[in-house]
This record gives sequence, structure tokens and C-alpha cells, in this order.
Amino acid sequence: MAELKTPQELGTDRIGKLLIRYAVPAMIAMLASSLYNIVDRAFIGHGVGSMALSGLAVTFPLMNLSAALGSMVGVGSGTMISLKLGQKDHESAQMLLGNSVTLNILIGVIFGALSLIFINPILTLFGATDVTIGYAREYMVIILAGNAFTHLYLGINCILRAAGHPNKAMIATIGTVLLNTFLDYLFIMVFHWGIKGAAIATVISQVLAFTWQCFQLSDKSELIHLRRGTYRLRGDLVRNMLTIGLSPCLMNAAACFVVLLINRGLLKYGSDVAIGAYSIINSIGFMIVMMVMGFNQAMQPIAGYNYGARQFSRVLRVLYLTMFFGTCVTTLGFVIAEFMPDLCIRIFTNDPELTAIARNGMKINFIVFPLIGSQMVIGNFFQSIGMPGKSILMSLSRQVLLLIPFLIILPRFYGINGIWYSLPASDILSVVLGFSLLIPQVRKLKKLS
Amino acid sequence: MDKHYCICIGRKFCSGGRNIASMVAERLDVKVYDRDLLKMASRNTGFSEQFFEEADEEKTRKGLRSLFMSRFNSSNGFANNYLSNESLFNMQSDAIRKIHESEDCVFIGRCADYVLRESDRLLNVFIAADMDDRVDRVCRHAEEGMTPSKALSLIEDVDRKRSSYYNYFTGRTWGDPAFYDICLNSSVFGYEKCADMIVSLAKERLGI
Repeated sequence: MAELKTPQELGTDRIGKLLIRYAVPAMIAMLASSLYNIVDRAFIGHGVGSMALSGLAVTFPLMNLSAALGSMVGVGSGTMISLKLGQKDHESAQMLLGNSVTLNILIGVIFGALSLIFINPILTLFGATDVTIGYAREYMVIILAGNAFTHLYLGINCILRAAGHPNKAMIATIGTVLLNTFLDYLFIMVFHWGIKGAAIATVISQVLAFTWQCFQLSDKSELIHLRRGTYRLRGDLVRNMLTIGLSPCLMNAAACFVVLLINRGLLKYGSDVAIGAYSIINSIGFMIVMMVMGFNQAMQPIAGYNYGARQFSRVLRVLYLTMFFGTCVTTLGFVIAEFMPDLCIRIFTNDPELTAIARNGMKINFIVFPLIGSQMVIGNFFQSIGMPGKSILMSLSRQVLLLIPFLIILPRFYGINGIWYSLPASDILSVVLGFSLLIPQVRKLKKLS
Repeated sequence: MDKHYCICIGRKFCSGGRNIASMVAERLDVKVYDRDLLKMASRNTGFSEQFFEEADEEKTRKGLRSLFMSRFNSSNGFANNYLSNESLFNMQSDAIRKIHESEDCVFIGRCADYVLRESDRLLNVFIAADMDDRVDRVCRHAEEGMTPSKALSLIEDVDRKRSSYYNYFTGRTWGDPAFYDICLNSSVFGYEKCADMIVSLAKERLGI
């Protein structure tokens, strides 16, 4: 990625072949990061209990917020570094690396400290009750103590990818998941440390991954490596990194706000158990979404390149093909959720009450999933052809703009089911919105081709 | 030594930089590259010129849209977005390097001074002018209805865009004397004299 070429193959090779080749590595990385959630929740659900699962669920908005801040620095520094490497300006790339490390530590420590000070009010705001707050606090205190490492690990992974080492980044991601799984088993099942064990496992695996990354980046023969004298923050670099990273950060923060609303709604109209049920549904939904995102990431360079080269028929072909694959993936999710929900739920719990609530929620939540695949592809398509406004509208609409009104109104009439209904309701509207934006665009492209 | 020399001219908006650049080029009998660069870049890559124009130095977004300044979250690492501002800038830089390899020339703007910083036959020039003169010039060249106050805000706007484009892509500071070999005020010397000075310095320094 350091060297930006315009590979002719993007303009000539068969679209299907290109799409698969670009999608496989992206999907592996996406799956790995969603597996991480599933593994943690599964061990806690089985090894500690249903209430611990709910306790874990109320910490998620906070974890997401932290990840959002981490991605701000990560995306910003990654973009800037790959730009500088493209210009063979290794000195500046080096400075950016050092600055991003300092910035990650700074933001990580400040966020961790502030959250630790206000841990009780924050968790209560996110939907913790007397029953769950103990678990949530026990987990979160350890995670927050290691927060700076989380940011460093995620940030450096972005940089490894930008600096032309996507494989190393992938090794770090997969390694963290495997290590975390092993430690979860050891701490929860063997040592019986409870929810604390999951947190310790997370922090240890991230610290080790970060150590490994540092080892990789201290090789002096590398184009960019960690070096003394690059850590002092420079105003212009920090500003550039944060400006670039702000938009993904805001999107993540918005998503975190919605989870907060859902958790509070579930608590108000249901119970602590419902929050745990939602976290099960969310994990499974997230995994499906991530697989579609893998295809999306593969579509981007293909659609972008061919759009730039005015090969509009190829642009349309890659769009249709990605929509088809996306729909296949979400339909698979639909089939599993509707016809064998217990199969998924059993991964997380054997508790009959939790299973019943999760089964009900899952069946409602996934009911329009076959339609969602194309919606996500459309949003990403706009991004790859240079219309970020429409792309941002698309992703905000489904998860935020359309969802919030439903979350406020529907529960008043249907109680807890109202919250479950909100998700497919906003899905349907956002699909309609997506196609109404896409159809004029496709007409235009057809006329041009 | 590089085979060909080049003179990179940065300029404040309406400071006469382009006129001076063409005078210099005429006297040295070389070509000036300005917007043509975009055409070159598009020819090299097969991309439509329109994309380069949209990402050009005077099109930087402002206000809310600057939040989404890099038009895409381009570097997510798995995939390159070929239409991101960053990759368009890189393609444009390739065009600049290619021209530098094949002929002597004058570049106006587009961060050519940064792109060619490794070259040993390079003269970096920055042209400024007094604000009154620049306002006058805008009023003279613009259509009816241009007032001095409108001209002033137009100048500030264009300067701001050029500066944020340059600073973003180069990490240098636009118009900061530290990054140029000569900085000239065209209000003080006049265009002819500025061109004379640049030509004679270029001859001395670049071994023409």
C-alpha cells in the first residue's frame, strides 16, 4: 500500500475474480475481530452466568467509545503515513509514527482515567442496575486500566497496514483472538476468576500483541520504525491526523449512543436479562455485517478505479455482484436466525429465560435481513465513487437517524417488543432510502456507458 | 546532476505569479505547467481529468464538510481507494516527476517544490504582493459588481485553500521563507524585474 500504483488489472481482469481475490483477506480480518466479541461473551455466558453477560453488555457503549477514539488516531495516522510513503518522504512518515504513539498514549490514559473516576454514573447511564453493576465494574476497571494499550495496539495495526504490511497486521489481529480465547478458557474455566478473568485475558493479549508490534517496528531496516526524537507532538501533524480521523470517530460514537438507547429501553420495558439477550443478538448480527463489510472493502478499489477510468459498465457490474454476495450473506444470517436460533444462542448460554428472550428478539431483529445486504453495499458504493455525503447518510440512517425515532415511539405501544421492532423498521426504511438514491445514479451511469 | 532543471513558483492569489512564471519561461524558452498537470496526470493514469480538478488545490472543502475532508476514509488498509484525495495527489506527483525527467520547465503551484525536493537542479520561488495591489487586480480582472471588500474576502479564501492544500500534503508551511530559495514581492519590484531576477538566479544556480 505504501507504493500507490494503478494496477491495470483493475480495469481489465474479470470482475468476479477480482472481487473474490480482494474480499478473502478483508473477510478474514473482519471475521477475526467479530469472533473476539463472540468468544468473550460465550465464555462469560457459560462460565460466569447470565447476569454477568448483561453486565458485560452495559459496558459496550463505553468500549465502543474508546475504540472510536482509537480509530480516530489510527485512521488519521494510517492515511497520512501512506501518503508520505507514497512520496518517499520517510522522515515525515517516521515523525507521524512517533507522534501517533504519543497521541494514543495520551488519549488512552486520559480516557481511561476519566472513565475510571466516573465509572459508577457512566455505567448506570448505560443501563447498569444493582444486579449488573458489580460485574460491569469488575470488568471495566481492568479494561480501563489497560486502555492505553488497547489504543496503541489498534493504532499500530492501522499503521502496519498503511506501511505495506497488511499481513503483519492480520497476524496481530488473529493472534490476539487466539490468545484471548486461550486465556479466557484458562482464567474463567480453570482458575474461576469470573468476569475479571475475561478482562485480564483481553488486556494481556493486547499488551502482548503490542509488544510484538513494537518488535516488528524497531527493525532499523524498515522504511519506518520507532525511533527516539519522533515522539514529541507536533501541532500540524496532530491536527491533520485528527481531522482525517474525525469522521470515522463520529460515526462510531453515534453507533455507541444508539446502543445506549437500546440498553436503556430494554431495561425500562424488560429487564437486565433482556440487555444480555441483545448482546447475544448483536454479536451474531455484527458477524454477518462484518462479512458484508469484507465484500464492501473489496468492492472499493475496483469500483473506484473503474469509475475514475470511466469504465462505467464495469462499475455497475461490480456493484451488482457485490450486492448479490452481500445479499447471500445476510440471507444466510436470516435463515439461521429464523429457523435455528437456539443453535446460535447455545454458544452463549444455557439459561432458559435468557434463551427465550434472545430467541424472540432474534427472530424479530433478523426478519428483514435479506434486504440489508444491498443497503450496506449501496452505502459503500457511494463512498467508492466519490460521494461521501450520500455514503454517510446511508450508514447513519440505518443505525442512527431512522432508528432513534422508532426506539422512542414503538416501545410506548408494544413494550419490549417495540424495541425489537425498531431495528427491522429502520432497516426497511433505510433500504427504501438506499434504492431511491441508487436508482438515479445507476441510470446516470448507464447513460454514460 | 539531474538532466533537466525546473523552477517551482508558489504564489499568493493575484500576486502576478502566473505572469511572472510565463515571462521566466519565455526567456528561458521552456514550458510552464499549471493546470496542464492535471491533464497530464489524467493521461498517465487513464483517469478522467474531472477527478483531478475536484481534488485540486483551490477546491478544499470548508466548514462542516471539512470534517470529511479526505473524501473517503481511504486508508482502511485492506483496500486502496483510487479516488481519494491522497491517491490523486500521488498520481499528480508522478506526472510532475515524469515531466521533470523529460524536460526543463517551470511549475506553478501543486506542491511541485515538495515533490521534486530531492532534485539538485531546482529553484524554489515564492511570489507575494501588497494586499492593495492584489485587491486592485481582482477588481480590474473580475466581472462587474466586484467591490474591494468582496475582492478581499475572495483573496483570503483562495489563499486559505492553497495554504491548507499545501500544508496538508507537504507538511511544510505555505509561504514560509524557510522553504523557498527566494521570496519576491511583486508590488515592490514589478513583474518584469521579478522575472529578470529569477532568470539570472536560475542561470547562476541551475547551470543553464
